[in-house]
Amino acid sequence: MSAGLIPLPLAAGPVIPTFGQASNCIVQNHQFCASWFFDNFSSRFEPRLVEHLELSAIAVGIGSVIAFTAAIIAYKQDWFETPFSLLAAFLYTIPSLAFFELMVPITGINRFSAEIALVSYTLLILFRNTLTGLRGVSRPAIDAAQAMGLTPAQSLVRIELPLALPAIMAGLRIAAVTTISLTTVAAFIGVGGLGSLIFDAIQTGFKTEFIGAGVLAILLALVVDLVLVIVQRAITPWSRRRLRGA
Amino acid sequence: MAVGNPPARPDGQRASAPGEIAFRGVQKRYPGRDGAAVDDLSFTVPPGEICVLIGPSGCGKTTALKMVNRLISISGGDITIDGTSVKELELTQLRRGIGYVFQQIGLFPHLTIERNIGAVPRLLGWSKERIHTRAGELLELVGLDPASDLKRYPAEFSGGQQQRIGVARAMAADPPIMLMDEPFGAIDPIARERLQNDFLRLHEQVQKTVIFVTHDIDEAIKMGHWIAVMRDGHLVQIATADELLAHPADEFVANFVGADRGIKRLRVRTLHDIELGPARSDLRAPSVDQDTSLHLALSMMLSESVNQLNVTDGDGKTVGTVGIESITQMVSDGRVPSSA
Repeated sequence: MSAGLIPLPLAAGPVIPTFGQASNCIVQNHQFCASWFFDNFSSRFEPRLVEHLELSAIAVGIGSVIAFTAAIIAYKQDWFETPFSLLAAFLYTIPSLAFFELMVPITGINRFSAEIALVSYTLLILFRNTLTGLRGVSRPAIDAAQAMGLTPAQSLVRIELPLALPAIMAGLRIAAVTTISLTTVAAFIGVGGLGSLIFDAIQTGFKTEFIGAGVLAILLALVVDLVLVIVQRAITPWSRRRLRGA
Repeated sequence: MAVGNPPARPDGQRASAPGEIAFRGVQKRYPGRDGAAVDDLSFTVPPGEICVLIGPSGCGKTTALKMVNRLISISGGDITIDGTSVKELELTQLRRGIGYVFQQIGLFPHLTIERNIGAVPRLLGWSKERIHTRAGELLELVGLDPASDLKRYPAEFSGGQQQRIGVARAMAADPPIMLMDEPFGAIDPIARERLQNDFLRLHEQVQKTVIFVTHDIDEAIKMGHWIAVMRDGHLVQIATADELLAHPADEFVANFVGADRGIKRLRVRTLHDIELGPARSDLRAPSVDQDTSLHLALSMMLSESVNQLNVTDGDGKTVGTVGIESITQMVSDGRVPSSA
């Protein structure tokens, strides 16, 4: 299959709108025309930004559920670690552009194809971090839970998983940032997101659109990362406590 | 060596309280390993008393302790609590009814002190208010400040304070029995001494049956109503500290308690245990209360360069005198039996 069979996500309207009355900046296609960017933000960039966030969030969400479940199984049943690691690592090594295209004949040109690929890339990081986090839980705390009469399930839910949260959240941050970056590539199979603007700009050579979409993708990743840091601090208030007076 | 149960203590007033722990020919074998980790272990800890298990590394003392709440399964024999075999009790029920304190403390780092202490009560379905009240009460009991400390996290406390919280947590649901596995072993010596004293004071109030594992003979002498000396999985001798120091069953015990056991014995005896000389109004000497240990009385004589002390009762009335010879006599008492 050649890439030419995949329709590139061209915008419906004119590539560079209102060309006639355009500012000098637009006419000469400068690096970045801020006024055009802000004038067109809500019509042109915002919908793609929301799409991008949706695509990434769904992927990380589903990936978390799968990886989390797998990590708990591997934590309780050692044999499960190797096969799942191998699968996740294999998926992770597939070049992203190829992965998206590979899914098209199987599941079609739609979000579903994109999500399958995006989810696959989150698994290795989320699985590894969750498992490492669980295995790193302080042994005395687990021993105390057992000696106090917590059942293994109670110990997992009340002690081990909460104590693994810092590692789990660290994995989630990497997975989220990686996925937001990869979602740009998913536009290759026409699912929208900021990547569609970038592909568009590559076709037309419109620099402001190219840089605007690119910077938005970066900002989105940074903001999501920041939000996750704040969430982590809120749910693990204990992790930064130190000896009084020290 | 088979050792019978210790004789009932004269102050049998606690006998009706629950919490009697009895080992009956308890054995622990590990598959693929020669010999038993614990073999034919039989002794009884009366309700409300502290029994210290002591012996060199690998003697099976911790294994014996952990078989009580079945952290380690019992291979042979039985352990009963108030006549009921621990094997018959449901595992979580058994454990929730036994306080457990160990060297690594094992506080839950992600839970506040209140929630750490409330862990078992919560499992038992106590209300939030009841847990809060209980946690505050216990924190005060172990010498911490409920007002400021309940909402803090374990990492904000020193090792000694953490173990105080560990003790409070173990007592949360008021279990009749506590198992303590080298609880103060990782605490610095000064804090350890205070913890020991505070625990003994606490024990006076709550009177739980305690099995206490240590490898420190001084700690054993200080903490134990009973000291059970183990070696290679066997019980060598179980006796009161005084008895153990005066009459070690064999060479091993004598070596284990130390060559200075005569001096050590002075710590567990008070001026009540010695025959006093007649009270003399003309004696110019410091006065000591009759509850004072012989060790302290001797120290006073040496530091004050006197040979005699006036002994007073609780009301400060002089009841007699004590001379240095009668104390030193005690040190040389009780030689090792020539053949055991």
